[in-house]
Amino acid sequence: MASLSEEVLLVVKKVRQRKQDGTLYLMAERIAWGPEGKDRFTVSHLYADIRCQKISPDGKAKIQLQLVLHTGESTTFHFSNESSALKDRDAAKELLQQLLPKFKKKANKELEEKNRMLQEDPVLFQLYKDLVVSQVISADEFWANRLGDINNTDPAPYNNKQEVGISGAFLADIRPQTDGCNGLRYNLTADIIESIFRTYPAVKQKYSENVPHNLTEKEFWTRFFQSHYFHRDRINTGTQDIFSECAKQDEKGLKSMVVQGVKNPLVDLLSLEDKTLDEGYGVSSGPPSTSNLNRSVKESSNAAIIKRFNHHSAMVLAAGSRKGLSHLSSVAIEYEDLQRKNRPKTVALNLKKSDRYAHGPVPLLSQHYTTSQDIINSVNHIRHEMVNYKPNLTQVLSSTAATSAIAALSPGGVLMVAGAQQAINQMVPTEVQGELKHLYAAAGELLRHFWSCFPVNTPFLEEKVMKMKSNLERFQMTKLSPFQEKIQRQYLSTNLTGHLEEMLQTAYSKFHIWQTRRMMRKT
Amino acid sequence: FRLNIDGLLVYFPYDYIYPEQYSYMLELKRTLDARGHGVLEMPSGTGKTISLLSLIVAYQKAFPLEVTKLIYCSRTVPEIEKVTQHQIKSLSCLTQQLPGSGPLLQKEPLCRADSLRFGKEVDGKCHSLTASYIRAQRHSDPNMPVCRFYEEFDAVGRQVPLPAGIYNLDDLKDFGRRKGWCPYYLARYSILHANIVVYSYHYLLDPKIADLVSKELAKNSVVVFDEAHNIDNVCIDSMSVNITRRTLDRCQTNVDTLQNTIQKIKETDAAKLKEEYRRLVEGLKEANVARETDIYLSNPVLPDEILKEAVPGTIRTAEHFVGFLRRFMEYLKSRLRVQHVVQESTPQFLKDIFDKVCIDRKPLRFCAERLQSLLRTLEIADIADFSAVTLISNFATLVSTYSQGFTIIIEPFEDRTPTIANPVLHFSCMDPSIAIKPVFQRFQSVVITSGTLSPLDIYPKILDFRPVTMASFTMTLARTCLCPLIVGRGNDQVALSSKFETREDFAVIRNYGNLLLEMSAIVPDGIVAFFTSYVYMENIVASWYEQGILENIQRNKLIFIETPDAAETSMALEKYQEACENGRGAILLSVARGKVSEGIDFVHHFGRAVIMFGVPYVYTQSRILKARLEYLRDQFQIRENDFLTFDAMRHAAQCVGRAIRGKTDYGLMIFADKRYARADKRGKLPRWIQEHINDGSLNLTVDEAIQLSKHFLRQMAQPFRQEDQLGLSLLTLEQLESEEMLQKISQIAHQT
Repeated sequence: MASLSEEVLLVVKKVRQRKQDGTLYLMAERIAWGPEGKDRFTVSHLYADIRCQKISPDGKAKIQLQLVLHTGESTTFHFSNESSALKDRDAAKELLQQLLPKFKKKANKELEEKNRMLQEDPVLFQLYKDLVVSQVISADEFWANRLGDINNTDPAPYNNKQEVGISGAFLADIRPQTDGCNGLRYNLTADIIESIFRTYPAVKQKYSENVPHNLTEKEFWTRFFQSHYFHRDRINTGTQDIFSECAKQDEKGLKSMVVQGVKNPLVDLLSLEDKTLDEGYGVSSGPPSTSNLNRSVKESSNAAIIKRFNHHSAMVLAAGSRKGLSHLSSVAIEYEDLQRKNRPKTVALNLKKSDRYAHGPVPLLSQHYTTSQDIINSVNHIRHEMVNYKPNLTQVLSSTAATSAIAALSPGGVLMVAGAQQAINQMVPTEVQGELKHLYAAAGELLRHFWSCFPVNTPFLEEKVMKMKSNLERFQMTKLSPFQEKIQRQYLSTNLTGHLEEMLQTAYSKFHIWQTRRMMRKT
Repeated sequence: FRLNIDGLLVYFPYDYIYPEQYSYMLELKRTLDARGHGVLEMPSGTGKTISLLSLIVAYQKAFPLEVTKLIYCSRTVPEIEKVTQHQIKSLSCLTQQLPGSGPLLQKEPLCRADSLRFGKEVDGKCHSLTASYIRAQRHSDPNMPVCRFYEEFDAVGRQVPLPAGIYNLDDLKDFGRRKGWCPYYLARYSILHANIVVYSYHYLLDPKIADLVSKELAKNSVVVFDEAHNIDNVCIDSMSVNITRRTLDRCQTNVDTLQNTIQKIKETDAAKLKEEYRRLVEGLKEANVARETDIYLSNPVLPDEILKEAVPGTIRTAEHFVGFLRRFMEYLKSRLRVQHVVQESTPQFLKDIFDKVCIDRKPLRFCAERLQSLLRTLEIADIADFSAVTLISNFATLVSTYSQGFTIIIEPFEDRTPTIANPVLHFSCMDPSIAIKPVFQRFQSVVITSGTLSPLDIYPKILDFRPVTMASFTMTLARTCLCPLIVGRGNDQVALSSKFETREDFAVIRNYGNLLLEMSAIVPDGIVAFFTSYVYMENIVASWYEQGILENIQRNKLIFIETPDAAETSMALEKYQEACENGRGAILLSVARGKVSEGIDFVHHFGRAVIMFGVPYVYTQSRILKARLEYLRDQFQIRENDFLTFDAMRHAAQCVGRAIRGKTDYGLMIFADKRYARADKRGKLPRWIQEHINDGSLNLTVDEAIQLSKHFLRQMAQPFRQEDQLGLSLLTLEQLESEEMLQKISQIAHQT
């Protein structure tokens, strides 16, 4: 058997699956289960296929472990060894916990990407449901276009999520509460701990050094809050305090930052002065070094606070953007508005919800008032314009086109039904509206695929265009027609789908033209 | 494009022009025509520098005989860099229009600063390699070490004109490296030949450097002091001397070395000393001749009279002079042993020194010159080592030359630490006009310009000159992009002020905190807050921290704070900018009169609001300041209070003006002190800020200010296009030439 050559990491006996006793094997690349007495695996999953594992809560009678696959299926194992069920399960869980992340990265990236896109974009998700789930087009076709788009543009902003920065006031958010008996309680959340670690790597290091062995987690944080390190005016940190080292380390970090200096010459205060006066000249009295010695304790604690703030802000900032920023503009001497052309450097928008951006927040009162003065002004303006108006006779529309345009724009014309259209809001129930919207989106997507095939100049495109045509027809059959029937049943004007049909018809006629031409060429 | 300014064709390197730039150039041209001095105020960010350069370059082109050289002085290195960039721009524009126009050069002799950066050793070493006597010795002894670069330069460099296109120091260094010439001497040499020289104030105002660098600049040059709002302080700094016990100790060793060297030389080469003696008898005739024929910029340390005389007999021989120095030094030491503060005028000091150690006034005056001569004779290469004794001798000359305008203050200890003896003798200049006088006298036109010079009439007074033009320009704006608000009360109606009595008041501090907190919630990106002094800021930050205000502010923005350490502050500044850049937003707490307030611009999102906590009065208890105020009152009839207010307001305006760096920029200016509302304070703000303060925003509470700010910010955040400005605050050539516009422009300039 092939599996014999594999390295077996863990064997757990007495594991039930589908009410059958068996043995669970954790191997280097997969997890497998075979029923008792047979040397064949009835269940075998590659780690790469597993999305996550779930375990039953502690108090429950049955001790179970569930594996959820990327496909959505799941497999449940029941640990039935009475004496050591919990231990067995935990051992398996721990091992899986270590193994899974390794394979996660290997797991189908594309699949994840698709998944993520669907999750982030509700419109796309709906489209996916409409087209793929109802099997109008295949999933591959659906993605073929999408993913291409993404890969062609810039995968970077999609792949790495924007990292969330740290709130500047995270330490302030830890509000101590009195617990009634003259003590203080600090509420720590995982977020805050994460923030502390990211901002102060020194504390993290201390944590990893001390926590499992020397201190419990609780003790560690208690000490953290007790230490002068947390209380900012730390001048006299005791030597036995484990955080005094952190303080020193921070100090060093701050110094090294200072020594590194600044990249932007415009903010470098050291090089600001061309020349400082020679020693002994000038009004200000000598070097201030003497005064440093005899600063009062309060003053130096104030200075410590200021230092701390600078350090804290710098660290928070650094934690937010590890990569470092692109360079600031080096010399700011240009007067942009004095120049004719200015090319602003723009950053591409990375939108999560594109429709929200497109529509913007809708103001509550969108009514637009026009004062009489405005109207008079605009009338005057138009009159003024008209005086200067000179027709450009060579570039006017043909008379037929002009008449049709005028007809369309006259009351009752095609383009002037806006008044009637508005009533659609009241006439049609919202669910129908929603459905119509989905239909439009789906049809648009299909048509986009269809039209993107033209001009048809490769055999591949030919094939695709045929397929898309049939897709369109299928869409009309399975989606559009039922909808039409539905609205007919509800005695609504069938005009609703008129435009959709028109679009489909245009596509069909285009297809026919193309087909007849092709036939002719062939014959 | 080309502009016609009052009959002069100016090449302007941009396609558009601001109306005030046009009227600025008009005014400047008038100044040059009249060959007089001018004081011009124009808001920052309206293109002062470029208009200035374009006009003067054009003027040079048109009247090459009347204006041969432009000397452009600015304060900080970044400023100078900026000017250089502008310069290249305007020149390239010019050469485009006029092919074949001669090579224009421009140079900043930062070399010296460069060499100083490596420390005094380099300077001394350079001197030891290139001093004339060393080189003379080398002729006989080819094994002496030598500076290759200097020799190369000396051999050929002077004859070869610099090629066109070398505009800044890096170019020059490059050029020097290619040719193998010493860039420092190359720079110094080319200053004489360049048409435009851009350098720092000190090269012209500090007599010690000016002597080296700027002495031979032609008389018919135009001198421009940009960012000149602090020029009086620079002048005073360059003429003041502090002597501590340490200085005297070092001086002691210097004198000992001198003595030893003299002894040695006497044994080996007595003729040399005799030769020197003879030279001294002949007097300083050479220098005198040079000055009379107008070749040199006169040195205020070296007064005219002494040039006509010979060095007095008492200090003519080297030993006598050293003995004289010793006596003088001992006298200073005894003066430093006082137990109480002494303040006296220079005549008093001279009388005292005559009574105690019998030193006359006359030899004292020659002290500096005599020391130079001695150092030359003794062939002491390492001049840097003798800075202490040079300082003392400079002091001697100054104290005996000027009976007015200086004061001597001896403080046995610092005010804050009365127990620790640290005696200092301040010899402090109170009259800035002394240092700048030679400049006004020598050059035909001196232009003083800055964004904040109000009130204009005080500068001619304290610098003692008569300007032919004084003008203040405002900013023409298509939209009101600055919003000055005076916040005088907290929400609980407590009067906000940083005045001494309420400084420690918690109510005030709390309300200041509230103001910052609320602002941090509504202002996007960067906020800069200025405090009146560092100590005050420390106290406020500490009590804000205790009250938990800072924590709340941190929820909105990151906080960065200026510290006395420049490197640390630079880092904080950079981080601040980074935080503004990536959209997080930040607050910078800083100090008026500090380095940040003087040298750093907060363009666009780096400073959407500036908050000035309190009125930045100078520390009035200092004796030097008191003496200066007294002097101003007696000599110039400027009342103490007027001067203090003037000084405070120019710093406040400087701080607040940091945020507006152009017409596309916008920013809030919040004056958080009720005293700003008074007419005497408000009236001293620059006109371009003043005219936007309306009566409604004079005494706001924090809440009201927040409301106004919200409204302002919302308006400003709308897109602002060039078309909106065009015709109003931005003109094309055609628009500029229309009659109507010219009329409008003439109203912009505010003659005083």
